[in-house]
Amino acid sequence: MDEEEHLHRFGTPLPALQKDVVPAKKPVAIEDQIVRDENGKRRFHGAFTGGFSAGFWNTVGSQEGWTPQTFKSSRGERASSKAQLKPEDFMDQEDLGEFGIAPQGIRTRDEFANEDEQQQRSGQRRRKLMQPELGVGAIPGLPVLEQLLRPVRDKVAVRILKSMGWKPGQGVGPRQTRKEKRKATARNSKEQYLLEHYGAEGLPSHKETKGEEDSNTEDEDDEDITFAPDDYEPIFYTPKENRFGMSYSGLNRDPILSKSSSSAKPMQHINLFDEMEAQANKKQLSIRGQAFGVGAFEEEDEDIYARDDMTRYDFSLADKKPKQKKQQHVQQRHVIDGFSEENSAAVLQKPYAIDLPRDFLPRNWLQRRSRFAPMDKDRAKKLEAASEYKRSGLGRHDLNPDQRAQLLGEQKKEEKTAEEQPKRNPFKDRGKSLLERINARTEGFTKGGVITENGEEQQTELAKEVKEANAAIQEKAALKTKDLPSAMNSSGFKPFLADEAKQLRYEKFVSSKLTDDKEVTEFLARMQPVTLSLWDREMEKKEFIQAAKIYRPLVGLMNDRFVSEANVQAEKVKEQEKPPEERKIVMERTKTMWKPTALLCKRYNIAEPFGGAMLEPEKELKAKAKISVFDYLETSVNTKANFETPSIFPKHIEKLTPKEVEKPPSPPPAPPPEAEIQDKPNKPNTKEEPSKPTFVPKTALEQAVDESRNKPISEKVELFKSIFEDSDEEETEPSEEDKLAILQESFGLPLTTTTSAAAQNVLRNTSPPRGIFASLFSPKKKDTEKEPATSKFAPIEGNKLKIAYKPLSERLRNDRELAMAEVAPEDIYGPKLPTAPPQKPAAPEIRAETNIDARLQQLWQQHAPKKRKAEKWVEKKCISDSEDSDASSSDASSSSDSSAGKDKRSKLSKPTKSHKSTSSKKSKKSKLKYKKKSKKSEKSKHKAKKKKSKH
Amino acid sequence: MPEFENFNVKTTIDCKQGAVRAVRYNVDGTYCLSCGSDKKIKLWNPASGLLLKTYGGHADEVTDAAGSCDSSFIVSASLDKSIIYWDVSTGAPVRRLRSHAGGVRCVCFNEDSSIAISGGRDNAVMCWDIRTRRLDPVQVMKEARDCITTVATNENRIYAASLDGCVRTYDIRVGELTCDKVGEPITYLAQTLDEQCLVAGCQDSVVRLLDCETGGLLSEYRGHRGDDYHIECGILSNDAHIVTGSSDGDAFVYDLLEGKVLQRIRISDNGGVVHSLATHPKRQEMLFARRRDMYVFSTDLQIEEEQL
Repeated sequence: MDEEEHLHRFGTPLPALQKDVVPAKKPVAIEDQIVRDENGKRRFHGAFTGGFSAGFWNTVGSQEGWTPQTFKSSRGERASSKAQLKPEDFMDQEDLGEFGIAPQGIRTRDEFANEDEQQQRSGQRRRKLMQPELGVGAIPGLPVLEQLLRPVRDKVAVRILKSMGWKPGQGVGPRQTRKEKRKATARNSKEQYLLEHYGAEGLPSHKETKGEEDSNTEDEDDEDITFAPDDYEPIFYTPKENRFGMSYSGLNRDPILSKSSSSAKPMQHINLFDEMEAQANKKQLSIRGQAFGVGAFEEEDEDIYARDDMTRYDFSLADKKPKQKKQQHVQQRHVIDGFSEENSAAVLQKPYAIDLPRDFLPRNWLQRRSRFAPMDKDRAKKLEAASEYKRSGLGRHDLNPDQRAQLLGEQKKEEKTAEEQPKRNPFKDRGKSLLERINARTEGFTKGGVITENGEEQQTELAKEVKEANAAIQEKAALKTKDLPSAMNSSGFKPFLADEAKQLRYEKFVSSKLTDDKEVTEFLARMQPVTLSLWDREMEKKEFIQAAKIYRPLVGLMNDRFVSEANVQAEKVKEQEKPPEERKIVMERTKTMWKPTALLCKRYNIAEPFGGAMLEPEKELKAKAKISVFDYLETSVNTKANFETPSIFPKHIEKLTPKEVEKPPSPPPAPPPEAEIQDKPNKPNTKEEPSKPTFVPKTALEQAVDESRNKPISEKVELFKSIFEDSDEEETEPSEEDKLAILQESFGLPLTTTTSAAAQNVLRNTSPPRGIFASLFSPKKKDTEKEPATSKFAPIEGNKLKIAYKPLSERLRNDRELAMAEVAPEDIYGPKLPTAPPQKPAAPEIRAETNIDARLQQLWQQHAPKKRKAEKWVEKKCISDSEDSDASSSDASSSSDSSAGKDKRSKLSKPTKSHKSTSSKKSKKSKLKYKKKSKKSEKSKHKAKKKKSKH
Repeated sequence: MPEFENFNVKTTIDCKQGAVRAVRYNVDGTYCLSCGSDKKIKLWNPASGLLLKTYGGHADEVTDAAGSCDSSFIVSASLDKSIIYWDVSTGAPVRRLRSHAGGVRCVCFNEDSSIAISGGRDNAVMCWDIRTRRLDPVQVMKEARDCITTVATNENRIYAASLDGCVRTYDIRVGELTCDKVGEPITYLAQTLDEQCLVAGCQDSVVRLLDCETGGLLSEYRGHRGDDYHIECGILSNDAHIVTGSSDGDAFVYDLLEGKVLQRIRISDNGGVVHSLATHPKRQEMLFARRRDMYVFSTDLQIEEEQL
C-alpha cells in the first residue's frame, strides 16, 4: 500500500476490467472515424464534389483538410484565367523558414541596411569570404572590382545625399525648428498654389505675419528640437516659345492616325528606315480615334493640306547618328569627370511680354483660397475697415460727376447743351460733310440720344432733333435702367413732349393726383384751350389717365399690386364689423292662375275652381307618361330672360286677373274667362311671332308692346294705336291709294311702317302677283316709286325686286324708257297702266281708280268661296272690335271721312287678308272673274267719285 | 295676452344618429321625430327621452319628416331625392316616392294626411297621393326659381317658401297662385294657428311676419344670427310668441306684437347651430336640434301640470 501511495499517477485510469465481461468494443477503425463539424454534423460536400468522402477521409473543409477551389466568374468580375502562383506556393514550410531558400521574417529594407547587411543578404558574403582580407591583396584599399560590380540602385546624387544623412521624403537643407518649418510649409504651399494658377508671376512679396506670431507663442520651448525640411516640387519655369495667348496651344497639325507626333510631323524629316525600326521594336499599337472622317475600318484620307517636300527625304542611306557618338567622346573641359554636358541645348529665346487685358485683375490670394473657404479673421477685419467708408455713405466720393448727377436727378444733358452751345463753332458744322452729319444722326439713334461727354459732334442740330424725337424712349429707358428717385420726378416723364402745352397740362394733371372722372374732366377743362374740340378734350383726358397709369414710378406700381397682409386683415375685420345694410323689404304680391289637379282638389275636399274648366297650362308636360329629369331643364329658371326680369311675366298676367276674379265664375255658355286671359297677352305674340315663345323685341312696334305691358290699360292707347294702325295699312295699302294718303294725314305716320308687318306675317304670300294681280297692284308700284323720296320704300309684292337698289334718277329714266317702248297691248293683262306717274298721291283720278279696285275686291269677296272664312283670322275680329273703341277717338278728329273709310276698311279687312293668304291656285280660279270685273271698273270710277264728294 | 314664462330645459337627448337635421312633433305632440344625417329617423318620447323606433331605409341624409294625423304613418324627405312613407308601428317603408330631380328638403301632410307635399332642391313642389299606390306626383308646381325650403298646407292652401325670396301660396279653392316676394331667401316658414299669418325665417337673420291676406309685411324680428344656415323658426301654440334658432347656439323667443326678445334661451355653451326646432301643437313646449342632440324645453308651469 505504501508503494502505491508513493506512486504518481498520470491520466485517467481505465475502468477496471471485470472478469466476466469480455471487452465488446473494438477500437474504431480509422476508416470508420467520421469527421464532424462544429455542430457535430457530418460534413457533406455535394454529390459531385465528394459527398461524404471529400478529400482524405472527408477532411475537405475541416481544419486538417484542404479547401476546395471555387471558380466564380461574372460579367462584372471576370475570373482571372490563372491564379497567380508564386514560387512560394510550391515551397515547403521549411523553405520559408529563416534558413530556407526564401526566408520570411522582419528585417530592414535595403535602403536602410548598411552595406554589410546588404552584402550578407545578397549572397555576396560568400564572395567576400572568398576574397582576400582588406589590404591583404596585391592592391591595398577597397577592392576595386567589388566597387565596380556593386549593383547600381540609386543615382549618385541620391547616394551622396543619403550619405549626408538625407532620407527619401525629406527636403534638402539645414534642419529647422518647428517654427521655421511651419513657416516654410506655408510659403511652399502658397507658391505651389500660385504656380498652379498664375505661373511664376505674382508671388507675394510680403511675409505672412500671423503664422509667426502663433508659432512664437506656442513653441518657444521647442527650439532644440529640429526637423528636416519638407520636400516640395521645385518650380519649373518653362519659357514661352510662341506668341499665342496664355495657355493656348494651337491646333495639332499631326495627322490624326499618325503613330506618334514625332515620327510624322508634317514638315519633318521622313525617315525611310522608320518602318523597319517600328517592326523591330513592335510596339503595342494603341488605338486612337478620330472624331470625323475616318471610320474604324477605313484608312485615313490623305492630309490634303500637307505639302510634300523633297527636303523631307533622304537621298542617301547613310546614318547620321554615329557622328554624334563621336562628339561624346570629345573631352569636355568644363565638366567634372563622369559627367557630360547636356546637349539638348535649350536655346533661350527672347521672352515675350504678355499683353494682359486692361481690366484683368489677378485673384487676390490674400483674401481667401476659394470663394467657399472662410476668410481669415484678421484679413476680413482689414477688408471691412477698408470698405467701411463705403457703407457709412462716404462711397459717393467714388462716383463720378455723371453718376452723381443721375442720383440727384439733374438734367445733365440739358445743362450740357446749354453750356456747350455757345462754345460750338457754327462754321465747323457747316464744313462737315453730309456723311458726317448722317453719322452723327445715326449715332444719336443707336445710343438712344444719350450724350457722351467727349462726343462733341453729337451736339449738332440733327442730333438734337433726334434726341427730342426720342425723348419718350429715353425716358422709358432711363426708368428701366436707373430706377432711381429721379424717375419719380414729375419732370421725369414727358410723354407729350411733342406738344409743349399738352405736356404742361399733363404735368399739372399728374401733380393734381385726381382720380375721379368728373373732377379730371373739370380740371382739364380749366386748362385746355377753348379751341380744343370736345372730342379732343375727351381724348386728351383718356390719354392723360392712360399715361399716368403707364408712366407711374415703379414704387407706385408695386404699391398697387401688393398690399400688406395686416391691411387685408384689417379690411376684413372692418367689413365684418360693418352692420349689414338694412335693406328695405318691399313686399310684392303677384297673382297668377294656377290649376290644381282634380285629384288634389278631391283629396283636399274642395270643389275644383271654375268647375274644373280652367285651362291646363302645361299640357305637353302632362302628355308625358314619366317625368324625366330633362323636364327640369326646361323650367323657367333656365331661360336667360327670366333670370333678368323675373317679375315681369307674373305681373303682366296679374293685371288681367282682376277682370277674371271680379267676374263670378260663369257657367259654360259664357266664353271662359281664362281663354280670354290666355289670349290677350299672347295676342301680340301670335300676331307677330306665332311660333316663338320667348319674346325678343325686334321692331319698334314690338318694343312698344313690350314696354306698355306694365302700364295700365288707359296708357296703352298708343300701343293699340300702333298695332291697329299697322293692320289698317295692311288692309288698305294694296287696294286704294287715296286711302293711303288719308292714312298718312290722319296718323302722321309714314306708309312704310307696313314693312315690319309684312315682314313678320308668315302667312302672307310673298310671291310676286301674277296675271291679273300683277296689273291690279301695279299702280302701287308707281306710287312707291314716287314716295320713297321721303320714306323707305316698302317691299310690296311684285315690285320689290324691280325697285330694289336703284337710285331714284335711274329708276325714273328706266320708267320713261319703258313707257316709251311700244308694248303690245295683248301682253298686258288688266287695265292699261297709266303712262305718266301720278305726281300727287291725292289726285282724284287715281283715287277713283283705287276705289274701283276696292269695289272690285268687295265684289270678289262676295263671290269668294265660303271656305275662306274658315281661315285663321279670328283674332282679327277682336282687334277690330277693340280698335273701333280705342282708335276711333283719335281718328275722328283728324279725318273728316274717317267713319266711312273705317267702314270700308273693316269691310275690306277680311277679303284682303284672305286674299293674301290664299294660294296661287285659288287666285287662278278667280282670275277670270277678276278680268270681267276689271272691265267694269271704268264705269264704277265715277260712282266712287260721287261717293267721295258726298262725304 | 298670455303671460310669458321662461323656458327651461326639460330633457336632453343624444340622438346618436349623427347630426340631427330636423326635429318634429307628431300631430298631438306626444312623440317626436328626429331626422339624422345617418339616414335614419328616430321616434322618441320627448318627455322621457325614450327611443321608440328607428326607421332606416333612406340612402342619404334625412332632411325632414312629418307624422300623419292619426300618427300611424310618417313621411320623410331625404337628400337621396326620394320620399318614404313609413308605417310607424312596423317601421317598414310602405312606399318610396321618386320624382324629384334633386334632394328633397321638406315634406308635410295635408290635414287628413291623404296628400303629402314635398319640396326639393329641384325647385319643385310635388303633391303625392299617398292613399293610392300611384308613384307619380299628383301635381308638380315648378314656379319657384330656387330651392324650396319649406312646404306647409292648411285646408285649402299650399305654402311653399323658396330661397328665391318668395312665398308662394297655391290656393286650391280659388285656383290661384299668389307669390309674395320678400326679397331675401327664406329658410323656413311656419303658419300661425289662426292661419292668418306666416312666419318666415329669412337668410338675413330676420324673421318676418307676413300677412296671408294682403301679402304685407307685418313685423320683423331681429336679434338672432342666421349666417348662412337654414335656421328654422316657429310660433308657439298661444300664437303670441315666435321662436327661432340661432347660429350661435341660442334660441330666441320674440314677442309677436312688439317684436322684442322675450327670452334668449342658452341651449349650449359649446356653440353649435340651433338650426331646427319644433313647437308643441298645444303646450308651451319646444324641441331644438343642435349638433347630435335634441333638447326639450318647456315652461316650469307646464312641467308642474304634467306632474300633477
